[in-house]
Amino acid sequence: MSPSDADIQNVDRLIHEPSRLTIMMHLYVVESADFQFLQNQTGMTPGNLSSHLRKLEDAGYVEVTKEFVDRTPHTALKLTRKGREAFKEYRKDVKRFIGKLPE
Amino acid sequence: MSYHQDGLLDMVIGLYALSFGLGIFVDKILEFSFVAIMPAIMISIVLPIWIHAKKKITMPRIGFVKFGARGSNKLFAIFLGLAVAGLGVSLALSVFMIGQNGRPVWLEILFQYGMIWIGLGAAVIGSLFAYTMGLKRLHGYGLLTLALFVSGHFLGIPFEYLLLTIGSVIIASGAALLVQFIQRYPLQKGAPANVAQ
Repeated sequence: MSPSDADIQNVDRLIHEPSRLTIMMHLYVVESADFQFLQNQTGMTPGNLSSHLRKLEDAGYVEVTKEFVDRTPHTALKLTRKGREAFKEYRKDVKRFIGKLPE
Repeated sequence: MSYHQDGLLDMVIGLYALSFGLGIFVDKILEFSFVAIMPAIMISIVLPIWIHAKKKITMPRIGFVKFGARGSNKLFAIFLGLAVAGLGVSLALSVFMIGQNGRPVWLEILFQYGMIWIGLGAAVIGSLFAYTMGLKRLHGYGLLTLALFVSGHFLGIPFEYLLLTIGSVIIASGAALLVQFIQRYPLQKGAPANVAQ
């Protein structure tokens, strides 16, 4: 049985974009990380990373907390419960439609 | 992830092995079982230094990450594993020393190949941590320990020399990784990079 177009069309496109998928993957395996850590892991420029984070934050997938640690500004990022569930769902969807492909 | 590519973990493991080797020397001089209390000493001294070094060297370079429950469990497993491994080696050494003054036959057989058992144990523990933490070089350390202990058994090299060799090699490897890490991730001057724009 081949994957239907509907399967692929229904996938969460906000997560499906490669840069945002990378961000989500990194945040999924940790409790929280700061901006610098994500930048190092993803290799994105600060502007690019900020832009994608804003989209994820607007969707309620990522929680951004700005605070001062030792008088230094610090941005902590974590997946919200909604974001974690959305990523799990995305993962399930991708597995489902790719799993349907013949060898 | 590059969080353990800073070589600090290697240096802790190497220090652990080195201190056991030194502990045996001290045992021989002072006739006091220093090796038995080594895990407690190592945990109380090296662990805070490791955490401080992570904060001062690693975090400013690659940022901060909190691993959460799964990550904490992994870290806890590392500490527990190191402590258990240390206690195991200590007990093995203690029994080995007592055994020299009239041990049972089964202990005789067991300790006849004691170094091979310890080498195998190190290889298994190394592989376990390598798998858990995704750090392939720990397989290498385990295999190096096995190779050295097997060679030591057949060549009659004293246990403490092997420990000192393994500890020194792992510390040197950790130091090389630390230098590479510092070169790869230089400290950013000017505006802090850990702030979203």
